[in-house]
Amino acid sequence: MIRVIIAGMLMLAGLFVLGIATIGIFRFSTMLNRIHVAAKCDTLGALLMLSGLIILSGWNVFSLKLLLVIIFLWLCNPAASHLVARAEVKTHPDINSICDYIDLTKENNNDSN
Amino acid sequence: MNEEIKAIWRSLFDWVMGNGPRPENEVIPPEPPPDLPFTLKPKDKYSRFHEATLRERYNQWLELHGLHIFSIVYSGLSVLTCVVIVSLLLATVAELPPFGHERNPANNEVIRRYVEHGGHETGAQNIVAGLILDYRAFDTFGESAVLFTAAVSVLMILGASRRNKQDNELSPNINEDGKNFLQRGPPIKTFRKDDAILRGVATLSIPVILMMGCVVVINGHLSPGGGFSGGAILSTALILAANAYGFERVHEFFNERTFIVSSSTALMIYAMSKGYSFFTGANHLHSIIPKGTIGNILSGGLILPLNICVGLIVAGTLYGFYALFSEGDM
Amino acid sequence: MIVIEWLLLIFLIVCAIAVSISKNLLNSVIIFMSYSLVMAVIWVLLRSPDLAITEAAVGAGVTSVLFFLALRKIGQMGHKEDEEK
Repeated sequence: MIRVIIAGMLMLAGLFVLGIATIGIFRFSTMLNRIHVAAKCDTLGALLMLSGLIILSGWNVFSLKLLLVIIFLWLCNPAASHLVARAEVKTHPDINSICDYIDLTKENNNDSN
Repeated sequence: MNEEIKAIWRSLFDWVMGNGPRPENEVIPPEPPPDLPFTLKPKDKYSRFHEATLRERYNQWLELHGLHIFSIVYSGLSVLTCVVIVSLLLATVAELPPFGHERNPANNEVIRRYVEHGGHETGAQNIVAGLILDYRAFDTFGESAVLFTAAVSVLMILGASRRNKQDNELSPNINEDGKNFLQRGPPIKTFRKDDAILRGVATLSIPVILMMGCVVVINGHLSPGGGFSGGAILSTALILAANAYGFERVHEFFNERTFIVSSSTALMIYAMSKGYSFFTGANHLHSIIPKGTIGNILSGGLILPLNICVGLIVAGTLYGFYALFSEGDM
Repeated sequence: MIVIEWLLLIFLIVCAIAVSISKNLLNSVIIFMSYSLVMAVIWVLLRSPDLAITEAAVGAGVTSVLFFLALRKIGQMGHKEDEEK
């Protein structure tokens, strides 16, 4: 019984975080803000949801698979969000209008030159 | 009679070509009329005065009204095509038997035989794998051949354009690093492929993805999956490696030559094994390879090597598409 | 379960219509990705996991990547970058 309650609370928290992510994606204006919200809240929400499912199902092969899914999501979701943000920074025509962009590679080049 | 037909034909020809009425005596080239404006030069030695040809009249008419009429006809025809196709499909759907009903024509003795005897006839636990790689092996062979042919034709087209353009001048382009590099065609903003985060994640995940693909390919006769799915997973691992480490690193172990050799070898093995069993075995009942016990990895007779062949072809083809489209090279 | 199935099917139809009427080619490709993903879920619900794996790997993965590459080839990816050059 306690297990069900804990799992339910975890899953409700995960739903709350995912809902915040969805609202944030629609509320924010620029691409970088949106990817900020989507990356963090998706990762945390997926963690909460899947750990709730793990607790609900107990220790068996199914929960082991869910654990692997969590590991995969925590590995790939930040990397994918990083790549999306990087592509946005690289291809945006006027990146300085939406954020303070410091090109570290160019500064290094200037120093070395 | 013949002369009359010739005359009619000639007048029709003249009308179409825009020549004026022909003189009686054709041998004498008529002089150009004196009061001809400059713009209306006689086109032919036969013509007395210029008359716009049918093609010119058609072109003028087309310039005036062509686009409008084309758009009207195009939209009308597209709407008509859509309505016809949708009504045909809906009529077909209305005639279909209910989904999953036991008295459907699809539920005949063939499917009963597959379900009842598929296990011990093919030795595969996954009936779908036994179906597509044993009963219907030639279909799968055709699909693999189609994939291979598509990859080879893309390679031919893009490779040919590459080889033709090598003679042309190379336009200097500035990379993101600030280094000059030579590139054909219009300058394309390229990305450096040395992202540290992507490299770390790829280092961790590529072995897992490769292992997953191999498991899906090798367990094709035991669990869902098989050659196509496993090959697609393997090719995603290759694409991830190419994105993280650059194409040069992937070229070291997988280039055009490797692709051609591995794919043709896999196709040849497939064709020879299935052709052999179909030629000799008469419904392939007398295959040399033992079936093994159902459920083991080494079971199912020819299904395991055929799955590996299909997986190799699909992995090479999908990665080849990606490399050819993005780099123009492989 | 029936409700989820109907929702997925309606989403599928909406995606299919949106792909065809979308003006931006990049949006079309992204909507097509989601179409493939929903199709993979529907294959699982129809109890054919073979097709679901293939649909998720090929339809949502490799095909979209190839579409993106083709869009980059014909210059439909960058919105304002091309006009500057």
